[in-house]
Amino acid sequence: MPDNPPKQDRRAGNTPIWRENGPSTRLLEASGVEVEIGGVPILRGADLRLEAGKLTAVVGPNGAGKSTLVRAVSGLQKMTAGSARWQGREVSEMRGRELAGLRAFVPQRMPVPAGITVREAVTIGRSARLRPLRRLTGEDYEGIARALERARVTRFAERALTTLSGGELQRVQIAIGLAQEAPVLIADEPTSQLDLGAAIGVAGLLRDLVGEGLAVLLVVHDLALAAAIADTVVVVSEGRTVATGAAAEVLDHERLATVWAADARLTSHEGRTALHVAWLQQPR
Amino acid sequence: MARRTLVFAALVVALLAAVIASLALGAVKVPAGEVIDILLGKGDGGSDQQIIEALRLPRTVEAMIVGAALGIAGAVLQGALANPLASPDVIGVTGGAGFGAILIIILFPGSIALLPVGALFFGLLAATLVFAFAWSGRNRGSTGKVILAGIAMLSLFTAGTTGLLAAYPERAPSAIFFIAGGLTSSGWQELEVIWPYFAVGFIIAACLIRPLDRLALGDDVAASLGSRPQLIRLAAGIAAALLAAASAAIAGLLGFLGLVVPHVVRMAGGTSSHTFVVPASAIGGAALLAAGDTLARTLRAPIEMPVGPFMVLLGVPLFLWLLRKAV
Repeated sequence: MPDNPPKQDRRAGNTPIWRENGPSTRLLEASGVEVEIGGVPILRGADLRLEAGKLTAVVGPNGAGKSTLVRAVSGLQKMTAGSARWQGREVSEMRGRELAGLRAFVPQRMPVPAGITVREAVTIGRSARLRPLRRLTGEDYEGIARALERARVTRFAERALTTLSGGELQRVQIAIGLAQEAPVLIADEPTSQLDLGAAIGVAGLLRDLVGEGLAVLLVVHDLALAAAIADTVVVVSEGRTVATGAAAEVLDHERLATVWAADARLTSHEGRTALHVAWLQQPR
Repeated sequence: MARRTLVFAALVVALLAAVIASLALGAVKVPAGEVIDILLGKGDGGSDQQIIEALRLPRTVEAMIVGAALGIAGAVLQGALANPLASPDVIGVTGGAGFGAILIIILFPGSIALLPVGALFFGLLAATLVFAFAWSGRNRGSTGKVILAGIAMLSLFTAGTTGLLAAYPERAPSAIFFIAGGLTSSGWQELEVIWPYFAVGFIIAACLIRPLDRLALGDDVAASLGSRPQLIRLAAGIAAALLAAASAAIAGLLGFLGLVVPHVVRMAGGTSSHTFVVPASAIGGAALLAAGDTLARTLRAPIEMPVGPFMVLLGVPLFLWLLRKAV
C-alpha cells in the first residue's frame, strides 16, 4: 500500500460544487474512482457527473466495471481511491440516512419476500426518511401514495409482490426508490430481464421522471435503448470511463469496434434507434 | 390486514388462557375466578394465594419470558439470515449452553446453582466464536459464512457434551432434564440474575424490526435506504444469542421453539413483515411454552416431566397442518 497511497481529492476544502455552478444542478461529481475487490482492480479511474433533469446511461462490455462504478458512487461499494461528492459532500463521510436522502439505488432484481404487498414494500422504502423507531406520519402516507402514483403501480398496490410480472416488479422497485424522495435515482440494468413491451414501459417511466426534474443514472446493456433515452452516455471500458457525451458522438463506429469488438453502427431517426450489427464478422 | 389482526388476537387469547391454566392447575387446583382475583390483588391471603404467588407465578412468568425470548430469537435470525432453517441452534448458542450446563452438572455436581451461569457463559462464548469466524476474511458477515461457522461450532460443543456424558455415565441421568428442557418451581431467584440479558436482547430485537424489513428486500435495497446489512445481521445475532443463552440458563435446551414459532405465525398471518412476525412470535412462543409447561407438570402429577417433548407435541401438529396449506 505505501507505494500506492489513495489519491487526495483536489477539490477538498473548496466551495461546494453546487454553489459554484448555480442552483444545485450538479448533484454528483465523481472523479478518479478506483475500486479493488479482493486485491483485483475492477475500476482504475472513472469519472461521472449527474445533473437534475438529465438521464445518464453507463454502457460498456461485460466486466468493464459499470455496476461497480454506480455502486461505488452510491456508497454501496467501498472505493480504494478517488472522490464521489453528493452536493459537495464526500460519499464515504456521510451517514447512511443522509445518503438515503440524496440518492436511491434500485438493484437489478431484489429478493421477493412472501406475503408482502406492493404498498408495504413502498412503505419500507419510505422508512428511509424516518428516524429509528418513529412511526409514519400523514406526510409519509402521502409520500407513499405519491411514489406509487409516479411509478404507475397504484393499480396493483394491494397485490403481493410474489404475484407480479417482471415488468411490474421492476416498477415497484422504482417506486421503493422514489419513496426515498431523493433527487437522484440510480438503477442497475432495470430493463435487461424484461421483454420488449415491459422494457418500453420502464424506459418511458424513467424518462417521465427525468421530465419531473429527477436525475436518473442507469446501467444499460442495450446500446439502442441507451441512445434513445439518455441525455448523456458514459462509456466504461476495462475499468475506465473512456468517453462521455451524446450517444451519437460517443457511440460511433470506431468506438463500437474498439470497446465492444463489434462491426456495428448506431442509427437514430425520429426517436427510433437501432443498432445495425454485422453479427458474423469481426471488425477490421 | 384483518387476517393479521385476527391471528394476533387469537394468539393473545391463547396466551391468556395458557397463563390462567398454568396458574390454576397443579397439585392444588385453584378456580380460574380466584386466580384472576389474586392477580388483581383481591386475594384472601389464604394458602391458594401463597401457592400462586410464591410458586406458580414465578414459573409462569419464566415460561412467558423464555417462550417470548426464543420466539423472537428465531424470528430475528430467520429474518437476518434470510434462511428458514435459522434458529438459535445455527449460531451455536444451543450447543454452547448445553455444554456449559452439562459441564457443571457432571464435573461440579456440588455447585448446581452455577448451572445457569455455565449455560449462559458457554452459550454466549459459542455465539462469539461463530461471529468472530464469520466476520473475518473475505465475504465477511455473509449468511453462508454465519450458518457454516454456527454448524461447525454446534458440532464442536455437542461433541464436548457427548464426551462428558460418556466419560461419566453414572451422572448422565441428572443431565437429561436440562437437555430435554424444563422449568422448575424455584421462585424468582434465577430471573433475578438473568433478567438483564433478556432485557438487552428484547431491546435490540425491538430496534431491529424495521431494519429487518429492509433487509428482506435484499442487501442493496437496505443499503439504498441507509442501513448497513452486515451490521443488521450482527445485531440480530447478538440479540438472538443473548435471548437464547438466557433462555437455556433458565429452561434448558428448547431450540425447537425458536425454529417453529416464527414459521407458525408467518403462515397463519400470511405475511413475513417483521412488524407482525416479531411481536406475534413473542406472544406465540410465550403461549406455547406456558401451555406446554402446564401439561408437563400436571399430566402425571406429582411427577414433573420435561417440557420440551410436550411443546413438540403441541407445536408439530400445528406446524405440519399450516405447512400443508402454505404455498
